[in-house]
Amino acid sequence: MGVFESSEKFEEVLAGFFRLMADTPQIADKLLASKLIIRFNYTDPDLSIVVDCSGDKIDVRPHDMDTKEIVDMKMSADIAHKFWFGKVNLTMALTRRQMIAKGPVPKILKLLPAIKPSYAMYPKYLDENGYGQYNIH
Amino acid sequence: MLPEFYQFRQPTKVIYGEGLTSDFTHELGEFKADKYFMISDHVINDLGLLDPIKEGMEEGGVAVTGLFLDVPQDASIEAVEAISKQATESGAEGLIAVGGGSVIDAAKAANFTFSHGGDFIEDYSGAGTLTEPLKPFVVIPTTAGTGSESTLAAIIYDVENKTKLAFSDSYLLPDLAVLDPLMTKSLPPLMTAATGMDALTHAVESYVGIDTSPHSEAFAVAAIELIFKNLVKSVENGDDLEARGAMLIASNLAGTSFSHSMVGIIHGMAHPTGALFRVPHGVANTIFLPHGMEYNFEECKEKFAKLAYFMGEDVSGLSIDDAARKAIDAVKKLNEQLNNACGIPIRLRDAGVTEDRLMEIAEGAVEDGTSIYNPKEVEAEEVIIHVKNAY
Repeated sequence: MGVFESSEKFEEVLAGFFRLMADTPQIADKLLASKLIIRFNYTDPDLSIVVDCSGDKIDVRPHDMDTKEIVDMKMSADIAHKFWFGKVNLTMALTRRQMIAKGPVPKILKLLPAIKPSYAMYPKYLDENGYGQYNIH
Repeated sequence: MLPEFYQFRQPTKVIYGEGLTSDFTHELGEFKADKYFMISDHVINDLGLLDPIKEGMEEGGVAVTGLFLDVPQDASIEAVEAISKQATESGAEGLIAVGGGSVIDAAKAANFTFSHGGDFIEDYSGAGTLTEPLKPFVVIPTTAGTGSESTLAAIIYDVENKTKLAFSDSYLLPDLAVLDPLMTKSLPPLMTAATGMDALTHAVESYVGIDTSPHSEAFAVAAIELIFKNLVKSVENGDDLEARGAMLIASNLAGTSFSHSMVGIIHGMAHPTGALFRVPHGVANTIFLPHGMEYNFEECKEKFAKLAYFMGEDVSGLSIDDAARKAIDAVKKLNEQLNNACGIPIRLRDAGVTEDRLMEIAEGAVEDGTSIYNPKEVEAEEVIIHVKNAY
């Protein structure tokens, strides 16, 4: 069994974190400049979240299967969880097929410097929002 | 210090030999294909380089079912789709690419739909999109070079949207690479220099990049040593098959290295320079290599000090700083030798770049996908200093 015991809990944690990033100008401004629409498809547990950076504000939409994404990323929930701690090298994960990316991958890679601050935010977010049991210390 | 994790995977069989392109059907016997569709371009065909390959294959009982020669300078979606269609209609069981980077990338990308059907962009654009292997794919490079015969990526130009699409997957790696110096013998001096410096830049950037590993470093230094011993020779005398062969091998080694460890600021500056001013990629890398090394000096000086030895410099008794400086000086000296030998530009102004747009190059370097692999953070305010120096 993975880190998260259910899709509902995983959605609560991850969507909440994505919304925190959307409200953090240091990160959000650069994501909005990219105009990307990313659909994240997670397994174990299963969850799909669209992060839409194409408008004036970042919109985080779980279970949105209708929006036409620009980039589609597939990975397990555990890999996603490790990634937001800064513990997964994106390029390595793609070569190892721990992540599958459909669409313009260079556009995603260009965002990596922008989301770097989130690696320190995630453990803090988990502790401050009652999700401390998921923290990797 | 060792990386926390890395992987090294290179399934491509590489064979080297003078005249081998007329006689490699023994190696083709390993693959489940007796019929190959050939992809090349008009220049290579007009030079007569394809005939001995086709004759050798047919004598060995392997059929060439058709030929596609219309690959443009930047491999396009249209070319990729046409190759796949024609190869399928010809009854081919595998693909063979004879050419430089664009030809190889077009054939590599065509193998997606040639092997598994579907929609080229919708189904395959991205990374790791394949779930099973492709049909047999053989590459004979005619430049030395992009090293595309040993990389897992293909870059295809979307003419309609004026953008480049990246496709990467370990299944894209060719099954067989045939390195034959007779295939690069007629490469003109300027192209020999430009493609050779592209290979050198691959090796240097891969060696110092943040994703480097002991495996990719080993391939990089082997490439660098061969390049410094043979590039000028192959520019000054194209008939020197020993030098030509060494450069083909170096390009392959460098390609393997950077396929695993990526590239950084030098390519980061070269890409926008190519996009804004149509400066050929190898020429841009030639100009920017010493300046990119200067940019990374403090972060990379221990590594540059080691590279100086492989560049043929005597670094015995020198401090790290002085030995590292020798590496940059060696690159500058190589650039001057090449400029004298064939007139390759070694300043941006001589390559058609205008002074009023240098900041766009610096900003483009920050935005480029390679910036995340550079050992030093890429910031426009500092990049511009080196772009101006390159001007």
